[in-house]
Amino acid sequence: MSATATTEASPAIPPSRSDRPTLTWLAVAAWGGVTVALLLIFFVAREADVAMGGQLQRIFYVHVPSAWLSYLGFAIVFVCSIAYLKTGARRWDLLAHGAAEIGVLFATLVLITGPIWARPVWGTWWQWDARLTSTLVLWLTYVGYLLLRGLATDRTRAGRLAAVVGIVGFIDVPIVHFSVQWWRTLHPMGPTIADPTRSSGLGGPELITFFTALVAFTLLFAWLLAVRVRLGRTADDLDALELRAFRS
Amino acid sequence: MSGVGFVAKTAALTRKDLRVEARSRDTLPPMLAFAFTVALVLAFTLPDATRASAKVVAGFLWITVLFAGLIGFARTFEVEREEGALDALLLVPLDRSGIFFSKAAANLVFLALVEVFLVPVFGLFFSLDLSSWLMLALVVVLVDIGFVAVGTLFASLASQTRSRELILPILALPVLVPAFIAGVELSADLFAGAGLDDIAARGWFGILLFFDAVFLVVGALGFEFAID
Repeated sequence: MSATATTEASPAIPPSRSDRPTLTWLAVAAWGGVTVALLLIFFVAREADVAMGGQLQRIFYVHVPSAWLSYLGFAIVFVCSIAYLKTGARRWDLLAHGAAEIGVLFATLVLITGPIWARPVWGTWWQWDARLTSTLVLWLTYVGYLLLRGLATDRTRAGRLAAVVGIVGFIDVPIVHFSVQWWRTLHPMGPTIADPTRSSGLGGPELITFFTALVAFTLLFAWLLAVRVRLGRTADDLDALELRAFRS
Repeated sequence: MSGVGFVAKTAALTRKDLRVEARSRDTLPPMLAFAFTVALVLAFTLPDATRASAKVVAGFLWITVLFAGLIGFARTFEVEREEGALDALLLVPLDRSGIFFSKAAANLVFLALVEVFLVPVFGLFFSLDLSSWLMLALVVVLVDIGFVAVGTLFASLASQTRSRELILPILALPVLVPAFIAGVELSADLFAGAGLDDIAARGWFGILLFFDAVFLVVGALGFEFAID
């Protein structure tokens, strides 16, 4: 974010993008990481128990990091929404918007990879279980957030309205989670940072694979977010240029 | 004006909304008609086997309340906008949260009136056991408070978009999930004749109270930024 301060108050001429080398390195790291993670997923991690889906269990290495990153994305939306309402600075709005889009992207991946695994293992594509339900509700909330942005009549207003939804939606997450947990639960309890070996008998190679995938997808997340924010800035610059051309 | 307190000003605004509605009858009659139509359609379409299940009927009751409510809430700020009164409303020497509470209170009155009408209709159509109606009223009020808090806040957002009413259900439904799960669970227990101790032990009241408290606060705070 160090490069943003210089671009803040210069509507007339698009400044040169000094963040380009950083972005390139981030892209190289992200896609390199994803390549390594894929190799580990298919050639290093051992085949899991039949009860966990055997070969199909490998989808776990995409599914769980995607879930964590969608939560990270929505947490960023929450923090940036508060910052935007407090300061009115455009950069917070751009970050919130980008994080919401990428959060929805990863949440969509979660909702696609989950059923692919669940169909043979649970015998059903979908269960109204606590985690599935709350992830679906979360996904819907941020789809609504993005729709609201698209339907608002101007950009400042879009940012302000969406920020309210970004805050309300995130506060709702734990309440949704607990209420559907009481309602019903079937999902296997996955590994946590505190207890990474919980569930599914993950051994050394599997843990290395899992954490590599987690780091790789996090880099991918960071790269996508950086690209999305830069795109937003470029669109702002273009608007400013058009406005100037229109005036003169 | 400083002699008039926050509560008195808020109550005056709510009375204003109720009086406008009493004269124009723009909001409540469509809500009632919609609720009755849905109840009728459900009576035609639900097979006999499903009617016996308290939970199925409770679910449909709350879906009907949900959509009838959203139809009404979408009008919250449209009424002001149509009459060009929104700016005047925002000039009232009252904290924005007071405007939020006044609108939420008016919506609560509309919603409660719809439910006072709808619950007996459901009882009639689906032979519900309404003997524990006092408890049912408590459940309904607790769900309603959270519902109007979220609905009023999001109605103010929706009123500033191009599609107006269309976006309101999409925004509100996911957020309202906990309140409606709790409402369905509790009222299904009541329809099935469960004892008070059983119901209290299941903890849904806790979730409802928490939901209401959180969204009354968040709604009042968020409203300040939601409207301009």
